[in-house]
Amino acid sequence: MRSTILLIAFTALILSLSLRGNLGNPSPADMNTSRWRDDGPFELSPERGRFALLYSLLEDRSLTFSLPVARFVTPDLGYINDRYVSLFAPGVSFLVVPGYLVGKMFQLAQVGTYAVVALFALFNLLLIRAISLKLGASRSAAVLAGIIFLFATPAFAYSVSLYQHHFSTFLILMSVYLLLVPSGILILAAVFFLIAASVPLDYPNLFLMAPIGIYALGRLVSVRQKTAALHIRIDRTKFITLIFATLPLVFFFWFNFRSYGHPLQFSGTVRSVKVIDASGLPALPANPSEHEAQAFASGDYSPRKSALDFFNSRNLLGGFITHVFSPDRGILVFTPVLLFGILGIILAYRASHPIYPVLVGVLVVNLVLYSLWGDPWGGWAFGSRYLIPGYAVLSIFLSIFLSRSRLTRLGLLVFFLTAVFSVAVNTLGAVTTNRNPPRVEILELERVSGLPQKYTFARNWDFLTANLSKSVVYQTFASAYINSVQYYFLVTTVILVPVAWSTWYLAKRRHD
Amino acid sequence: MTELILTLPRIRPRRLMLWLVVGLSLVSLLAFFVFYRNGLNLAYNDARSHLDIGRRVVEGLKPGIAQLGSVWLPLTHVLMVPTVWNDFMWHSGLSGSLQSMLGFVFTGILIYAYLKKLNVGLFGRLAGVSVFVLNLNVLYLQSTPMTELPLLFTMTAGCYFLLAWLQSDRLLDLALAAFLIMLSTLIRYDGWFLLLTSSALVGFCSFRSRGYRVAEGAVVLFATLAGFGVALWFLWNQLIFGDALYFVFGPFSAWAQQAGLEAAGVLATKGHLLFSAKIYLYAVAYTSGALTLVFGLLGALIFWADRTKAPTSRLATTTLFTPLLFNVFALFLGHSVLFVQGLSGNSLFNIRYGVMLMPTLAIFIGYLVHRLTRLRSVIIGSLLLVAFFAFANQDAVTIDDARVGSSQKNVTEVSGWLAQNAKDQPGFVLISAASHDAIIFSSGLPMKKFIHEGTGAYWESATNLPDRWARWIIMRTYDDHDLTWKFVSRSPGFTRYDLVGSFPFADIYQLQSRYLPELQTEPVLKQFK
Repeated sequence: MRSTILLIAFTALILSLSLRGNLGNPSPADMNTSRWRDDGPFELSPERGRFALLYSLLEDRSLTFSLPVARFVTPDLGYINDRYVSLFAPGVSFLVVPGYLVGKMFQLAQVGTYAVVALFALFNLLLIRAISLKLGASRSAAVLAGIIFLFATPAFAYSVSLYQHHFSTFLILMSVYLLLVPSGILILAAVFFLIAASVPLDYPNLFLMAPIGIYALGRLVSVRQKTAALHIRIDRTKFITLIFATLPLVFFFWFNFRSYGHPLQFSGTVRSVKVIDASGLPALPANPSEHEAQAFASGDYSPRKSALDFFNSRNLLGGFITHVFSPDRGILVFTPVLLFGILGIILAYRASHPIYPVLVGVLVVNLVLYSLWGDPWGGWAFGSRYLIPGYAVLSIFLSIFLSRSRLTRLGLLVFFLTAVFSVAVNTLGAVTTNRNPPRVEILELERVSGLPQKYTFARNWDFLTANLSKSVVYQTFASAYINSVQYYFLVTTVILVPVAWSTWYLAKRRHD
Repeated sequence: MTELILTLPRIRPRRLMLWLVVGLSLVSLLAFFVFYRNGLNLAYNDARSHLDIGRRVVEGLKPGIAQLGSVWLPLTHVLMVPTVWNDFMWHSGLSGSLQSMLGFVFTGILIYAYLKKLNVGLFGRLAGVSVFVLNLNVLYLQSTPMTELPLLFTMTAGCYFLLAWLQSDRLLDLALAAFLIMLSTLIRYDGWFLLLTSSALVGFCSFRSRGYRVAEGAVVLFATLAGFGVALWFLWNQLIFGDALYFVFGPFSAWAQQAGLEAAGVLATKGHLLFSAKIYLYAVAYTSGALTLVFGLLGALIFWADRTKAPTSRLATTTLFTPLLFNVFALFLGHSVLFVQGLSGNSLFNIRYGVMLMPTLAIFIGYLVHRLTRLRSVIIGSLLLVAFFAFANQDAVTIDDARVGSSQKNVTEVSGWLAQNAKDQPGFVLISAASHDAIIFSSGLPMKKFIHEGTGAYWESATNLPDRWARWIIMRTYDDHDLTWKFVSRSPGFTRYDLVGSFPFADIYQLQSRYLPELQTEPVLKQFK
């Protein structure tokens, strides 16, 4: 218990030191300033889009955007039935409501909002530890796995800003954890609820949750083959638990109906508006593509979209290379420590735990699905943000690897050094910015800016050495005493203390 | 708790095979119907040329077996002969597609049978077949009159009987392997490489188990039958074209075409082994699917490392990778050309070659599913996920190659003009089949309306005195690669023609009306060679 409290305190401390933001309750006019946009916590459109919906919901009591809020959301703004709407799935904006309300009372509306994401990131760390323990990992390995997930992968940079990834990961991990505890009706009801709740958070969660859903359905039905007959047993009582899946879906359909006029109109497929003119109407961007110009001329504001169009089987190879090997997003560059998790998958195969295929399934679906995605880079981003659920799964397997492998001290040293590198890279991302362009945009960017542009974490280092950090604690308090580089080294060192201690403990136990 | 008890009928192996044939046939028919309805089954320029070659054997100014030509191997064209005389079978493409569809069905069966020989359980066998069947590129190609599916069938069948021979030592299996490989050598040159690798395998395995004498006998027996088709092809070229190597170095050979591409600086793979391998692996990943490639290779590695399998069986499965070696070497040597968008230019060309590894990958995925029982659901689930998006978005790279890549040729303007203006008018059309077979096909006119390189005395007369023989001339102006232009533009009669249409792939010349009375409009040269 004491170690759990210590772990929570440590994680909360690091997340507080890294949380991005500004003091104050921003108005729409504030939000459109560079202090809040490019130089502040709303640096990219996913944060803006979700915060805008939250703001409209609480301050304007509306699911559609007023003109100033709509301007804030561009260029990822939806337009339907002559109203500006959100292009993002609504779940995150609703989940962070308590954070906004509490923060607003202390003139910290944005910080409070972002703190909810950090809170879920903390839950994820604890869940990884708990699942690892359930799967037979040692305590130190389980703790290490949790810390590696949160602070040695790009999950760190996305735990201090407003994205859906930690919520999605939480639902996945929570469902897996529930399936590991003794089966009961309430447990199954909760799992089906969580699966359905994942869809309004981020539509691709439907696929990510599929392995869990199929496994959970297996608890309702059992099939046994006896000679020439198939015996199918259906547990009627447990079957009723499926009703719980309808609750989040009702919310989802209600939101779609109120926002877009049809329960099955998904936000991502609404026509998007990139520019709003002076009179407040959708306008054509400065250099429109042929498609955009045609669509605009025909009365539409952007080419038609279908939910399935985003995934293309031919992208798989290129997307996979981007996620794993590329210098701008690849696991090998941003979080090589997780490669030890792959070895854990091989070790765990022999153990034959029933949840094993579910975990591998989530990982493979995550990697395959976002390799099929037309934009595997995730726009401007730090590392491969789409793979955050996969990082969580790999961290669990990392704990299994660390517990069961016969790593020598030299092997553990290699692991530790890789972990140090991964922590250093990802802390850099967390305390600076996620505004890293994909490599494919660099030439155009250099042409427009007339300056050489970087696309790896070296860009974050440049940001840091310019004495910049988006951490609210640094900007508000620490900047008076130390520069941003010193702040970064301080945070990194604090994170490395438990990493070093756990690795040392693993080495010692092996020696003993 | 409710319990349902479903009594399962006992499925006999033979009946299961029957169901498999029925299922595969239904899928094949459905796919053909879909691609026939949307007109894509004839989108490949080569598809139309294959049909025309078959048609020329039975209809035209000079029909006969010599029309089989020298560049493309003859088996698929010979197999068209019984049906291609019928206009519907010719113009629907069914005459050639039938072979592809049969190739599809039997390759599916062979994947099942091959996995059975490797002692893979029913689930793994069906998974292997499903991987093959649920590939949109395979389904598309099996609906076209292209050579891929017949080749896949004969090569896979050859490999299957080689495995059977190595397991049973029955001479009949070896003979069947030789026969099927011989058929493959008469479909595409990929088969020739299989002939080499399989002969080496037969020699090596026989030598290892029974010594030199038996090995010598086995290789002679095998290679005599398996190499019979190759020998016939040399003989054919010698008899018809006066040069046994005409198909290698002739004016229409791949070598000549690649020389042109090299001169244009677009044969980037020649002399670069790693780039050739990269290009081909990308083609495999695009046609078979990247995940299929990864799982297939993983399955192969696990199979080869499986010590419970007989070494001969493990060795026999290496023949399944012959297409990989063949294509990489062909690209490296500059005998083949393959464009992958983004890697070599911004176009697609011959990307369908990647599909040649599809049965191999399907077989090894079947094995992988059988072996990694705990990850079975993950392997199948992820493959289904990719297949779902491929079907939902109709994403097939071979269709793109056929529609908008360098393998397409939209000749509708020229063929449409001919159909409208030449259909009911007397007179011949002078055209180079080597350059414009697609126009001949798409015009819908009978083959006997055209004077082309294969029409002997008609061609010689018309290229010397076009105004006496051709009412219309179709050719690319100022392009000496177009044989019609090469000869006709230098003849004095050419001045009697008006340019009546100019299109991206060809121009149309029409004889001025005042010279029509002197024009020959009947096939009067039948007695001449």
